[in-house]
Amino acid sequence: MFRWLRHRYDRMRLKDPRWLPLFREDPSGEVVSVDCETTGFDTRTDDIISISAIRIAGNRILTSQAFNAYVRPDAEMRADAIRVHQLRAVDVAGARPMREVLPDFLDFLGGRPLVGYWIDYDAAMLDRYVSAYYGFHLPNRRIEVSGLYYERKYGDAPQGTQIDLSFAAITRDLGLRTLALHDAFNDALSAGEMYVQLTDMKARNVRIAREHGHDASAAITVG
Amino acid sequence: MPRSFDTASPPFDRLSEAEAAELVAALDIGYWPAGQTILMRGAASDHYHVVLKGAVEERDEDENVVAILGPKETFGARAVVHGGAGARYVACEETLTYLMPRDTLLSLIHRNPGFAAFFYSDISRKLAEVAKHDRGQGLEGVLRARISEARLRPPVFIDASTTIEETEQRMSDTDTNSLLVRDGARVGIVTRTNLSKAAILAKLPLTTPIGECTSWNLITVEDDEFVFDALITMTRNNKRRLVVKRGGEKVGILEDIDILGMFAGNSQLIPGRIDRAKTVDDLAGAAADIQSQVVRLNHQGVKVRDIAAITSDLNRHLFRKLFALIAPESIQEAGCLIVMGSEGRGEQTVRTDQDNGLLLADAVPEADLSRFRVEFQGALATFGFPPCPGNVMVSNPLWSQTIDDFVMQLKRWVHSPDADSPMHLGIFFDAVCVAGNADLLTRAKREFIAMMSGETAAIAHFAKAIDQFPGPGGVINSILATVGREEPIDIKKSGTFPIVHGVRSLAIEKGISATSTVERILAIAETRFFDETFARELSDALGYFMELRLKSQLRAHLAGTTEGESLLRPSDLTTLDRDLLRDALRVVKRFREIVRNHFKLGMF
Repeated sequence: MFRWLRHRYDRMRLKDPRWLPLFREDPSGEVVSVDCETTGFDTRTDDIISISAIRIAGNRILTSQAFNAYVRPDAEMRADAIRVHQLRAVDVAGARPMREVLPDFLDFLGGRPLVGYWIDYDAAMLDRYVSAYYGFHLPNRRIEVSGLYYERKYGDAPQGTQIDLSFAAITRDLGLRTLALHDAFNDALSAGEMYVQLTDMKARNVRIAREHGHDASAAITVG
Repeated sequence: MPRSFDTASPPFDRLSEAEAAELVAALDIGYWPAGQTILMRGAASDHYHVVLKGAVEERDEDENVVAILGPKETFGARAVVHGGAGARYVACEETLTYLMPRDTLLSLIHRNPGFAAFFYSDISRKLAEVAKHDRGQGLEGVLRARISEARLRPPVFIDASTTIEETEQRMSDTDTNSLLVRDGARVGIVTRTNLSKAAILAKLPLTTPIGECTSWNLITVEDDEFVFDALITMTRNNKRRLVVKRGGEKVGILEDIDILGMFAGNSQLIPGRIDRAKTVDDLAGAAADIQSQVVRLNHQGVKVRDIAAITSDLNRHLFRKLFALIAPESIQEAGCLIVMGSEGRGEQTVRTDQDNGLLLADAVPEADLSRFRVEFQGALATFGFPPCPGNVMVSNPLWSQTIDDFVMQLKRWVHSPDADSPMHLGIFFDAVCVAGNADLLTRAKREFIAMMSGETAAIAHFAKAIDQFPGPGGVINSILATVGREEPIDIKKSGTFPIVHGVRSLAIEKGISATSTVERILAIAETRFFDETFARELSDALGYFMELRLKSQLRAHLAGTTEGESLLRPSDLTTLDRDLLRDALRVVKRFREIVRNHFKLGMF
């Protein structure tokens, strides 16, 4: 509700017509899987150092037209985050600043919904720049793959069921491969793969079995 | 641009780094729910698929599952390149595939012939491409080189009237160990060894004309033959030098040392060892050499068909010598020693069994015969030849009798067959004579072909053994379907036997006298029964099965067991090998259908 109001308000106040497409949901049904790597995990103080976005059209993950950019950060990178994404300060030193990267990203995104694992975090990171630079909040609808997963697996679960929405659990249940490197592209790709599979399961009303949910083939037999 | 795409697996390993990067940049990923058809049979496709995750069934026109494709396996090449998929492809579980755009693929195919070859539909070109790819990794490169590529010694001619002394001088002058000797129209060869023997051992005066110690029996090869052929010729004739000809002209001399300089092998030394043997025990050493060089040749990367040819030649040499050593005079005179089955076809590498027999022009004293049976078999046993499970051996009186009785036996097998008759006839039809009177075998075969000629029912009964191991309807398909799953495939039953026996049946019908399956296939193609393309595919499929079989035999051999030597686990194969195996099994399926229709086996 709050987001809807803010959406209307932002759109009314929007000065630059360049960003208008963001406010109209794309009728094609395409979505964009997004992942950002950051200097740390605080959305208020840390900076984005890379963005990857992959369009998904129907059953197809358009990796050939992916958006990939490194960003030169303002904040200093923290060691714990470097261990996760393996991007060092020197790796992003030659990159473009966010002021140049963000417009390209928003053009790529258009009015398509954002898809991701823990998408609110990535959206919040992006939102901070968007509102600082252009004075509005990222209006795109957000699709949380762990939410789709929850619905397929725990939607009808009795009270007290132990719930595991970890990236590893989803990867395992869907029988997806574990990509060796956690960079923005691979994480966006994994989220994209989760999205196509989970939306297909939803369309066919297939559920993920809870008791022997360690095997994707067990899920198939239910539907 | 999924960086996780594996460009190191075939056929993408043939792409240059830049080409691979271009391909990876163009990749999308497709998601297919279980049960969805990814590609319809006959449909064109904008994408070539590489399975990323999941499994895809390949279904033929009768909806039989022909194969199950797993990660890294590819499909849709025909649909992209030729505009129509060869089969229907269905996701059998939730599946992700890399989508390789048509334009990118075609552009790479046009630029990179090694990559392109993978997409040609017939197996021969694929295999040739693989062979080319492997060239230089072993001995194969050397053996597959033409003789003209070897460093030949230039031919130096002298007249037969030249003296021994002058000849020696000429050899020193031209720095060679052999000279060609001209005597009118005939040409011979003289070597330093000949000179030493003449002057030192025979104490001929140095003024003797060289014509007197010249060997006039020139063994020649053409310069466009393979080095491998030269090696075979040397082995067969027990010669260390060959005269190389181009057209009618003698252009050089090839010595074994020249070939040895190119690689280390010693098959040409074994016949000498066999010839020098004075006792059966001496021969045992040579027999062990023959077997150990199979391992070595394979290790060096020699093609299995060539290994089989070398091995057969040496084995026959061994049999001939053994016959000379132990056969009593009566049998030497009246007998014809034959080898049959795979040994006769020249297709045996690792000794799995023995099929041999003795035809006699006339009855010989019973004592001689029984002694020979026992001694011959005993010797082969010490040489490490396993006994024949079907008892097709000299020691069995059925397989060592007079030609008249044996022809009667053939008649019984043809006209009143029992369960074993087709096997006996098949094994016999592959016979070659290794020692003694070859005319006996020629006569027996001629009579056999005459018996079968026009006897449609008899040939059909014989051919029917092609279905001895379950037929094309069910089991072949499930064998094909096991490719990609963990079910061992019996290479002998599913691959080698149907080809060998089908070809054998056709060869009997057409009265073809060649014994090797490849030669028979060529002879059948000459009758226009099937075209040359199919003939090539069939021989290549056979060669491929033999190669797979040899690999698993050697593995079993190392493990010290013959159990399961012809079984193959698909998961042990590379993706490319699996692809080739599928193609080869498909050729077998087609051939089986041809044979079944031709002999109308459906009626039996």
